[in-house]
Amino acid sequence: MSAPSIPNLFGTPSRGGGTQGDRGGSSLSGLGLGLGRGRGRTRVRGGGGAGAGAGSSSGFGSTSAQAHDVTIQGTDTDAAVSRLSAVEVGYLEDPFARLFVQGPAGRRLPIINRGTYTRTTAINQIVDRFLAQTANSGGADDDSIPQTRQIVSLGAGTDTRSLRLFSSSTPHSRIAYHEIDFPAITERKQRIVRASPQLRSILSDPVSVPAEEGTETTWRSQARNNCELFCHGLDLRALAQQPDGQDSTTATASSSSSPGVTLKGLRTDVPTLLISECCLCYLDPADASAVIRWFESRIPDLGVVIYEPVKPDDPFGRMMVSNLAARRIHMPTLDVYRLPADQERRLAEAGFGQVRHMTIDKIWGRWVPHEEKARLDRLEGLDEVEEWGLLAGHYIVAWAWRSDKFQLPDGS
Amino acid sequence: MSDLDNAIAQLRACRPIPEAQVRELCHKARELLIEEGNVVTVNAPVTICGDIHGQFHDLMELFRVGGDVPDTNYLFMGDFVDRGFYSLESFLLLLCLKVRYPDRMTLIRGNHESRQITTVYGFYDECLRKYGSANVWRYCCDVFDYLALGAIVLGASNTLSPNSEAGSAAREAEEDTEIEVCNADGDIMSQFSRQEGGASRLLDPVGSALRPSATATNGIGGAADSSRNSGLGGAGAPSKTGSPGSGASGSSDGTVGNPAGAVLCVHGGLSPLIDMVDKIRLLDRKQEVPHEGAMCDLLWSDPDEIDGWGLSPRGAGFLFGADIVKVFNHRNDLSLIARAHQLVMEGFKEMFDASIVTVWSAPNYCYRCGNVAALLELSEDSSGLGILSRTNGDVNRSDGGVGGPRGVLMENDLAGLRSGPARRYRVFQAAPQDSRGMPAKKPVADYFL
Repeated sequence: MSAPSIPNLFGTPSRGGGTQGDRGGSSLSGLGLGLGRGRGRTRVRGGGGAGAGAGSSSGFGSTSAQAHDVTIQGTDTDAAVSRLSAVEVGYLEDPFARLFVQGPAGRRLPIINRGTYTRTTAINQIVDRFLAQTANSGGADDDSIPQTRQIVSLGAGTDTRSLRLFSSSTPHSRIAYHEIDFPAITERKQRIVRASPQLRSILSDPVSVPAEEGTETTWRSQARNNCELFCHGLDLRALAQQPDGQDSTTATASSSSSPGVTLKGLRTDVPTLLISECCLCYLDPADASAVIRWFESRIPDLGVVIYEPVKPDDPFGRMMVSNLAARRIHMPTLDVYRLPADQERRLAEAGFGQVRHMTIDKIWGRWVPHEEKARLDRLEGLDEVEEWGLLAGHYIVAWAWRSDKFQLPDGS
Repeated sequence: MSDLDNAIAQLRACRPIPEAQVRELCHKARELLIEEGNVVTVNAPVTICGDIHGQFHDLMELFRVGGDVPDTNYLFMGDFVDRGFYSLESFLLLLCLKVRYPDRMTLIRGNHESRQITTVYGFYDECLRKYGSANVWRYCCDVFDYLALGAIVLGASNTLSPNSEAGSAAREAEEDTEIEVCNADGDIMSQFSRQEGGASRLLDPVGSALRPSATATNGIGGAADSSRNSGLGGAGAPSKTGSPGSGASGSSDGTVGNPAGAVLCVHGGLSPLIDMVDKIRLLDRKQEVPHEGAMCDLLWSDPDEIDGWGLSPRGAGFLFGADIVKVFNHRNDLSLIARAHQLVMEGFKEMFDASIVTVWSAPNYCYRCGNVAALLELSEDSSGLGILSRTNGDVNRSDGGVGGPRGVLMENDLAGLRSGPARRYRVFQAAPQDSRGMPAKKPVADYFL
């Protein structure tokens, strides 16, 4: 039996065996040229080598710390490939995912696609709540003048959330979206924005923000409805050096030998949501705490969302830590915040009055509507039911807020 | 024949055999399998294994722990391929052994022995990578279509055979031992007795390290819990086996060593369309696994803590509850259903008063899950009654094959339970990394980063 005549167990027209390898390739194979099918099959799965250029182009030396930085930057490629896989199978809608992956997309297994979907929609829901609650009121003393809202994405990498918000069919307005990542990553993103007509239709030509002093390189770009994107090329550990707002002011004023990080364009007087999607977990726990404190000490109306692995101590968790170590990926915060309760305590101790958390498998169970689950099940059968429970049970979304201007969702 | 032995030797070294040889092997295998019924009859003693999933080195570990072929009589409950890196070598080795020792090797079909699933979960890609074309994948898929859908084990004993593997702590198998759990070296980790009310004797508390506690609520593969909950010899329960008048379960006399009821082996589970084992025999199995229907259900369904039938989260097959299993076992004179299909961290899990057990034989599944694996040994009844008294899973017994109302069943539950075969589980871990020879460039398991 040849591949194209494989009966589809799950009854989806989009999943005939013959189309699988052609995904992301040219449409030539659709013309019935016999060549397309066989060759399309020989794609590389995993995509581990796909975007390695981002890391290797920086020409780092060989110290282990720098090597680890490059490895961590590589995780962005991993995430971008996963996102594209979920988009191409139909889990997510994201017209921009393709732009940030070089070469053919590696198709991920269903369990990874579902996880990518769940983490994305979970954070979407929290972001949507934040935006909805900060949409109208600009503070009582300001009459009805609408106010800017800020989203700060730590280690944003090639994440497309800002682009999706700017082009959403339900238009959002007055979002200042700040992305922070290594300069190598933000520079690459700038190049992609410049070169892509698709992106230039929603973003103005990126403008570099002159660096007065300090270590950051920033570019900014305008979007519709008074939205704006800021990309800060910056090692987050620089923020950790000057965690407290007051110290920062004096430091900037008094000393040019220890230049301050200012995150140009960032305001401290508007509601702000801080997002760390598998980012702070790569920092030393003290640095990770200091980064949160940097924002917490400056911005009164602040919410935070953290997505990280948990539970390194059960058999699955031990294997996860060991497998990641084999890829030279180490998550220092996982050593400290081992359980979901530790993540809650972490955020409570960071100064947030309201703290919630859910594991990814619970989010899948409770936040994804029944009809949506049915739709996803039709996309591809998931035979990895038990494995899904294990994997998704080892990732957590924890969120917290301190504001009288907005509330984030409850964890149920 | 020496060609076959050469192929076996080559595959044991985890080296693929040439395409022409695969073609010949698959042809021979099909000739063999076409003669088998949908439900194969297997006589105890037999060692029952669950999912393998291309984890070749762990399959070698399984043979080390369970004994080599043909010394040990094996029954593999499907899912030989997909997920692991060596689906090809694993399946072809099992197939070679089947052709070489047809009476010592039983292979039944899992839901991954399917064209559709193997294109998603890795076997197709692996064949393409290793041979440059899909021919070998096609040969293998054609064999899949001929694999039996289930097996009936006859003549399993109520008592365990002596644990020949037991090391320094070697001990006579207790006559009343119902469940024994051993580690990979054959040391007894725990025993559960029929007479002692299922009280466990943990001989090696350290052995608990072998059993990851991720699903702690299930206890030791569920075995401890199920014995405890089943009321095995609990207050008021009769001692020894069999309650009077429960001839339906084939355990009317209580002598130790009597053959237990038959054991049905199937990859997934039951189907609402199948109330009798004989109905499985009537299916036309020689096809790709259908999207729905009885054949699909047998390969896809899962037991669950529900009443009756439920929708499966897998999108194929059904969930079925304890009541379904008990009615089915009673009606078909089964003492146990052995199935695979679901990852269990402890390697095995008995459910529903030990009327059904899940056996999982892929340790550290997908090189990611951190679980242990198990195989299930059923020993041979020495009285010789078992095989004679049963006709190949033929079911019209004292109740005429009509399932009684639940009230009656509840009485018979105990009887069925107490006549259940003695079960020895051998629990083992993944083969050591250094023996794995994993390709250096191979990406390890995916996580969310």
